[in-house]
Amino acid sequence: MSTLPRAPADGLHESASAPDFLTPATAPGSAGVVAPKDLRGVADLPTDERPVGAKQTAIYVYDMPVRAWHWVNALCIVVLAITGYLIANPPAAAPGEAFERSLMGNIRLIHFTAGQILAIALLARFVWMFFGNRYAHQLFCPPIWRRQWWAEVWFEAKWYAFLVRDPKKYIGHNPFAALMMFAFFVLPCVFMVLSGMALYSMGTGVDSWQHAAFGWMLTLFGNPMTLQTLHHLGMWVLVIFSILHIYAAIHEEMWSRQSMISTIVSGWRMFRDNAR
Amino acid sequence: MLARETFYDVIRRQGISRRSFAKFCTLTAASMGLGEAHAATIAHAMETKPRIPVLWLHGLECTCCSESFIRSAHPLVRDVVLSMISLDYNDTLMAAAGHQAEAILDEIREEYKGNYIAAVEGNPPLNEDGMYCISGGRPFVEKLKEVCGDAKAVISWGSCASWGCVQAARPNPTQATPVHKVITDKPVIKVPGCPPIAEVMTGVITYIVTFDRLPTLDAQGRPLMFYSQRVHDKCYRRPHFNAGQFAETFDDEGARKGYCLYKVGCRGPTTYNACSTVRWNEGVSFPIQSGHGCVGCSEDAFWDNGPFYDRLAKVGAFGIESNADRIGLAAAGVVTAGIAAHAALSAVKRMVHKPGVGAEDKNLASLDGEPK
Amino acid sequence: MSALRTANGFELDNSGRRIVVDPVTRIEGHLRIEVNVDDDNVIRNAVSTGAMWRGLEVILKGRDPRDAWAFTQRICGVCTGTHALTSVRAVEDALGIMIPENANTIRNMMQLAQYVQDHLIHFYHLHALDWVDVVSALNADPQATSALQQSLSPWPLSSPGYFRDLQNRLQRFVDSGQLGPFRNGYWGHPAYRLPPEANLMAVAHYLEALDFQKEIAKIHTIFGGKNPHPNWLVGGVPSPLNLDGVGAVGGVNMERLNLVKKVIDDSIVFTEQVYLPDLIAIASFYKDWTYGGGISAQNLLSYGDIPARANDYTANGLLLPRGAIIDGKLDEVHEVDLKQRDDIQEFVSHAWYSYADESQGLHPFDGVTEANFVLGPNTQGSKTRIEAVDEAAKYSWIKSPRWRGRPMEVGPLARFVIGYAQGKPEFKEPVDKTLTDLGLPLPALFSTLGRTAARGLEAQWAAHTLLDFHEKLIARIQNGDLTTASSLKWSPDTWPETAEGAGFTEAPRGALGHWVRIEQGKIANYQAIVPTTWNAGPRDAQGNIGPYEASLLDTPMADPEQPLEILRTLHSFDPCLACATHVLDAEGSTRSAVQVR
Repeated sequence: MSTLPRAPADGLHESASAPDFLTPATAPGSAGVVAPKDLRGVADLPTDERPVGAKQTAIYVYDMPVRAWHWVNALCIVVLAITGYLIANPPAAAPGEAFERSLMGNIRLIHFTAGQILAIALLARFVWMFFGNRYAHQLFCPPIWRRQWWAEVWFEAKWYAFLVRDPKKYIGHNPFAALMMFAFFVLPCVFMVLSGMALYSMGTGVDSWQHAAFGWMLTLFGNPMTLQTLHHLGMWVLVIFSILHIYAAIHEEMWSRQSMISTIVSGWRMFRDNAR
Repeated sequence: MLARETFYDVIRRQGISRRSFAKFCTLTAASMGLGEAHAATIAHAMETKPRIPVLWLHGLECTCCSESFIRSAHPLVRDVVLSMISLDYNDTLMAAAGHQAEAILDEIREEYKGNYIAAVEGNPPLNEDGMYCISGGRPFVEKLKEVCGDAKAVISWGSCASWGCVQAARPNPTQATPVHKVITDKPVIKVPGCPPIAEVMTGVITYIVTFDRLPTLDAQGRPLMFYSQRVHDKCYRRPHFNAGQFAETFDDEGARKGYCLYKVGCRGPTTYNACSTVRWNEGVSFPIQSGHGCVGCSEDAFWDNGPFYDRLAKVGAFGIESNADRIGLAAAGVVTAGIAAHAALSAVKRMVHKPGVGAEDKNLASLDGEPK
Repeated sequence: MSALRTANGFELDNSGRRIVVDPVTRIEGHLRIEVNVDDDNVIRNAVSTGAMWRGLEVILKGRDPRDAWAFTQRICGVCTGTHALTSVRAVEDALGIMIPENANTIRNMMQLAQYVQDHLIHFYHLHALDWVDVVSALNADPQATSALQQSLSPWPLSSPGYFRDLQNRLQRFVDSGQLGPFRNGYWGHPAYRLPPEANLMAVAHYLEALDFQKEIAKIHTIFGGKNPHPNWLVGGVPSPLNLDGVGAVGGVNMERLNLVKKVIDDSIVFTEQVYLPDLIAIASFYKDWTYGGGISAQNLLSYGDIPARANDYTANGLLLPRGAIIDGKLDEVHEVDLKQRDDIQEFVSHAWYSYADESQGLHPFDGVTEANFVLGPNTQGSKTRIEAVDEAAKYSWIKSPRWRGRPMEVGPLARFVIGYAQGKPEFKEPVDKTLTDLGLPLPALFSTLGRTAARGLEAQWAAHTLLDFHEKLIARIQNGDLTTASSLKWSPDTWPETAEGAGFTEAPRGALGHWVRIEQGKIANYQAIVPTTWNAGPRDAQGNIGPYEASLLDTPMADPEQPLEILRTLHSFDPCLACATHVLDAEGSTRSAVQVR
């Protein structure tokens, strides 16, 4: 156990047997310490920011850049999935002079634009990990080396499988969600950016910076065609992730002990049963 | 002792003046970053140097590379063989057979140690101690290692030597292995394609002879001059691709109008080769121009990207073979159904049991999910 | 064994000196030949070993049948296209796909162009050096060479200056000391009989043919996009016809057809003014070299090819004859059916594969294949250093195919003799004329030279037939038929659960068959028996020797160290070893038998 003080929060106690993983580890700054400013009770809030339901406790989890990134991402992924599907299964343009129309060209342009926005946003979000609040790095750093964390993952998994009656409360993602986010969103997203840029670099040419930076991906799995196939499969991984993600958010919003959907809009996480 | 015809003799005989030759030497010196003074050295080398011997070996292959080579129109292969190189060993064309043929390998290796080119068509199989390809009563891989061992450089002709090609397609029963995985201590120039374009083959050879250096290679070992762009990049049907005008099936309206063959499986967008520019058989045509998509024959493992007529390659996993869209849709369907069931169950549970009530003692306390 | 008589009537004696030729060059692939010569240097025993195996049929399992042509085409890059055509026909037969008339015409043109091109390359670049002494050409008188050329044909490249220039170039080449492909050849060998002038003329044509063969390939390039290995399509051909519609430049148009026409015209001229006259001229010097007949006087097989009309693969519908002649009875041509299980069978008693019962043969639909690389007890050397194989045991990667239990010779000679026996004038008349010109009787046909001559005659026939099909294509276009592919059964949804079919062609080297079984839209089994399997196959369980082995017997060698006579006869078959070598299951497991419905 670390000796660093942990601030008791209003209604949010550590259990008597608070496991090791809850202790602050190596993150810089105040990360790891549940700082009072992050765990303000409702009473600390200005009136106009006070969430509905006075007995709840609210914590400011997702700061503005993270929320913005979330919604930019959501938009990009929708656009990318649709245009990506169309690139693989293109609609037929009207016959006639080829130079007069650019249906495939436009679909690809939109795809490339959205892809580069997604890539830059992912990069920015990664950088924000070092500047944002203490929850900003959670997405990228699941503590997979901690056994206790895996126990928590298992516990949450059991809750989703109706084997446990009540979930635990978490300010950020619960460990199960964090694992899912990392495995089915962060990693696929990184793969999609790398493979997408590699496929794009075939067009910019072998003497382009894109090819210098990402060209190695083209032959990593054999040949560019295989990478293209994997890129397409990756799209489906993200589509399925999105379905699960939306459902999980609704599910949590309705049946867990903290807010979800409103949180990614406002940044504030509500804990419904704190008053008890 | 017979006088050897040198590079200088050859180009003089082909009508190039002494003056042009001197100029060529100066330019060569300049391009190599050498001063004017070195032009004389180069000229001397070219005046006295014999034609470079080429030992052309055949492993597991179909001889399409040799066949393609003799289709070369510029230069004519007769001029390549008679005037530019000394094709001392090539199973398909050489007069000698048996031990007269094998003796040539030993003679050249001794006489031109480090100064001949080993050109390899096909590849060695490694299973069954290499005896899936027997040459001279022993495994071909031994012959390959011996001949390449003393070579100046190795040319891997075609996709067999470069990547493994058809006999290395899954499940590769003979363990056919590309040349660069067996010969690791020599520069290997890959000239992939099934076969490579004739003029690309003679282009690579004559580049080496003309400039007395190996061509610039990409990260994969292919000459940049022929393999730095995709078939797609210079395809004359590219405007139809950009426009979104496609042949939907063979011999339909779009096919007859010369629309893009992307939707009937063309691999041009993922294939690095010179087909759309150099084209085939003296520039007469190339696959796309003749109505069939590129099958990607110059790419590693292109055989396992089938079916050739689908935009999406077959994906095999868990004993099921399908394409990415069908797998993705099926998975999305399963997940959605699972969600519906889960939601229903959750709602039922919710009606039976209010969450949080009585949970205080057990589960309340975990603070956050991020244990930094 | 010391001396014995084989079931098919050949005397073998392996007691004499053993001569090994490995590699046999100027062929496709890897072939090893071992012979025993007696005290007079006459060949008394011959052993043919296929020395490579690639396993393509294994690789085909589980793949899309529409892709199979591309894989099988890579069996051979010399007779490029032939396997692909056989494959699309096998798949179409299995799935009941009918191709448009124009597709048949274009396929025939590609196949016929292949005959002309392949035969030309074979004669000049793979075979001629067995008859032509390049170095002797240096002693020729260009004036006399010119006179010789002009006496043979109106071919324009015939001036004394032309031959003098060529001779000078050749002289410089030889003087350079770097002989390239001619290094260590058998120059000055007593078996060479041409006078220097004929040698010089032949060398000139060696180079001219090298230039011209690439022109013939352009027919493949126009319809198939490239050569070697043009593109094919199940259900037709990939190249659309568009003569004067919008975007005609995207399809086969008038310019393309004109180029095809030019290549055809040039092919006719070259075969008639160069190839055939050379053939006759060379043959006239070797008339009494009558060796190499082997089993050609006994058993000949042809599947036939070049369907006159689309989708008619019956014997009567084929321009190249179908049939089998057995036991030397030219007056009876047997019907051939690729699906008849008792007719075509493969044996492995002397091949590096194993069957449950190796005394029995198996039809390709029942194909059982299991690799078994074992060397016999009398093998000299070790597994990876074979000095001499043991022909009493397994000794080749090639199986032994048999038709009604008999080894059969396939190839242009078989096609011409069968056509001759059927009394078809297009085969009978040129054969009779050639024999008359040379003053030879009909049995002279069954020899090394007979094979070589039949190939030349076939090239001429093919060039003329090409023209016929070009005209047919023009006539159909004239009538408004532009269709080149059928998409009706393109989608696997339209296929039956299981299907099986056989496809055939006559490859330049002889009868070629593919057998395919399709289950749930994928290839369940694929087998090919190729011409060189028929010709180069080893002994069978009954001890019958194969065509290569039989053809070498009784040939006297001037100098066994310089095996020119062996090369001569082997080359007359135009060996293609990558084709011939057979299949192995990936795990080496036995394949289940496939029942013919």
